[in-house]
Amino acid sequence: MVSQNQNVISLECVSKVYGGNTHALREVSLHVGAGEIFGLLGPNGAGKSTLVKVLLTVVKPSVARGEMLGQPIGDKKTLARVGYLPEQHRLAPYLTARQAVEFVAALSGVDRAIRKKRAAELLDRVGLSKWMDRRVNVFSKGMRQRAGLAAALVNDPQIIFLDEPTDGVDPVGRVEIRDLLIQMRREGRTVFLNSHLLGEAEQVCDRVAILVQGRVVKQGSMADLQKEGSRQELTVRWGTASARPLPFRGMNIAPTVNVDGSHQYVFSDLDTAAAQPALDAARAMGGEIISLIPMRQRLEELFMKIVVDPTTGKAPPPGAGS
Amino acid sequence: MTAFTAILVDGYRELVAKKLFTLSMILSLLVVAVIGVGGLNEQGVTIFGFTIEVPFVNSNMFTPADFYKLMFNSVGVKFWLGWLACLLALVSSAGMFPEMVSSGVVENMLSRPIPRWRLYIYKFTAGLLFTSLQMAVFCLASFLVIGLRGGAWEPGLFLAIPLVTLLYSYLFAMSALLGTVTRSAIAALLLTILFWGFLFTLNSAEFLVNGFRIGSVKECEAIQALMEKRQKENPEVDVSDLESELERNQSTLSNLALWHRVVFAMKTVFPKTDETTSLLQRWTLEASNMKDEGGDDAEEVAATAQKPRRRGGPDFGNGRAKTRDVNLALEADQRSRGVGWILGTSVAFEIATLGLGCWLFARRDF
Repeated sequence: MVSQNQNVISLECVSKVYGGNTHALREVSLHVGAGEIFGLLGPNGAGKSTLVKVLLTVVKPSVARGEMLGQPIGDKKTLARVGYLPEQHRLAPYLTARQAVEFVAALSGVDRAIRKKRAAELLDRVGLSKWMDRRVNVFSKGMRQRAGLAAALVNDPQIIFLDEPTDGVDPVGRVEIRDLLIQMRREGRTVFLNSHLLGEAEQVCDRVAILVQGRVVKQGSMADLQKEGSRQELTVRWGTASARPLPFRGMNIAPTVNVDGSHQYVFSDLDTAAAQPALDAARAMGGEIISLIPMRQRLEELFMKIVVDPTTGKAPPPGAGS
Repeated sequence: MTAFTAILVDGYRELVAKKLFTLSMILSLLVVAVIGVGGLNEQGVTIFGFTIEVPFVNSNMFTPADFYKLMFNSVGVKFWLGWLACLLALVSSAGMFPEMVSSGVVENMLSRPIPRWRLYIYKFTAGLLFTSLQMAVFCLASFLVIGLRGGAWEPGLFLAIPLVTLLYSYLFAMSALLGTVTRSAIAALLLTILFWGFLFTLNSAEFLVNGFRIGSVKECEAIQALMEKRQKENPEVDVSDLESELERNQSTLSNLALWHRVVFAMKTVFPKTDETTSLLQRWTLEASNMKDEGGDDAEEVAATAQKPRRRGGPDFGNGRAKTRDVNLALEADQRSRGVGWILGTSVAFEIATLGLGCWLFARRDF
């Protein structure tokens, strides 16, 4: 068993080249700690699914230096301790939810008695207790996704890979899946979440890596990444036109004018002490302090900063490129 | 073992979910029912109490047990098991491998702690379930019909189960390979049927060329015998016409022998579906304690021998050799091909096909 704070996935260099010149992954290096929810983010075609598939031996890497659960990447036996919900997964339509989950358990080498018990428990946990003996071909997309989650958990995995788990799921289902992820973390499992839904990742992930055109361009804890672009926004309304210094006197911060005529000043620091001289100055000059709001950088902002080319204002085309 | 059992059970569920499987089972039972409703009396064959007069098939010629065994062998084994049942099985199972390698399914299979080659072999074995189940039902029903209607209980009939499964496995190995490569059930099915057609053509070609070759050997022997006879009657007699005829026939024989070697070498490489069916007929007859009346090979030999010999081609066939001698020699040649050659080379091809499928499945990205 891997202890807390240890890395369960340590990739030094993972590359995948298709057909000699299409680079799906370029020297990917990242680390995932035990018991955390790790988000792998990136635009469509960035190589997120390919990376997961390399780790799970679905795709053969061109280069793979690294370990998962203390074993080299590609070690089949390790996969007995790993769960996986593939993107757009399909359960056999001729099976009931219970049979489908038990089938996955059997492939993972779970004993018959245990898999029967676990399948029923997990289907109950994902809200399919009344549907477990119905064929999956009558299930909605959301129900299939839940059944898939139960299947991914049936071998009691230490790491669970979820590739776009909320894809096609309604808002209520999304909240439930999110709660389930948090529950998994509480149980000590590591969750490797592959997603392009940044809002979702922001809510549950402890750490993230952003993959663009097969390359990891940013990784770190959510707290650190949010701190990078954090700021305070001070809003002041001036009484008279003459008492409206632009830029803010002595602080060299250019304000923006809001629609209601107030001025907004941005401090690129989350420390409220840094804003105190400005507050004092504003009051002394007859300004009315409307608000001072600490703002954390949203993941979407960070993502757009990284992904969008500042010169063209456009995101890179889908695909990992050649 | 857990995974193997799971894939086997899954394969069974997949087949049962397909209507064609049920249809095929019903058809199997229908074939047995057709055999069962027939009967014999002194005038001929009876069906539902009505008599159809057949001079050579009546209770004076056959015992009821032999009649049902003959029906089982000629209708059940030759046409149903050897052709139609295999075709239905191919149609039903053609989607198994394309489905396994389809996106959204293959990820769940490959991300498990089982080597890919094993998954492939397990799935292949699960696919063979179709035929074995169908055969088991067919043989059990035939066993009951022959026992109840004919009064002979012949467990030897169950030999058909492994043999037909083996015959089907040659084709299913190809279907699995093509399904993995093309990822399309229709493409896999059509190409497998095409392959089966190729095997049939190759077999027919070899049979014909061999027939001509043996005919040519017998022709040369007949000419030599005639020469000796004439010379014995009159040592001074001129046999130059026979000598030149012998020379022409030997030249033809040499060409035919070469072509036969080529076709035979090709045939050796590929599965022998026809010979396996013939073997099946022969073995089930022997196992059910019934005399082999000549079987498939003899019928075909006779049919081929009675066809008019071609003219205008190589100078073969002035008709000096006796048709019966040619037929017997051809039959002896066919029978001289041992079980080891028929099944061994066929299984070798199947193993090679499976190996190629495993290799492709193991190295491919999904």
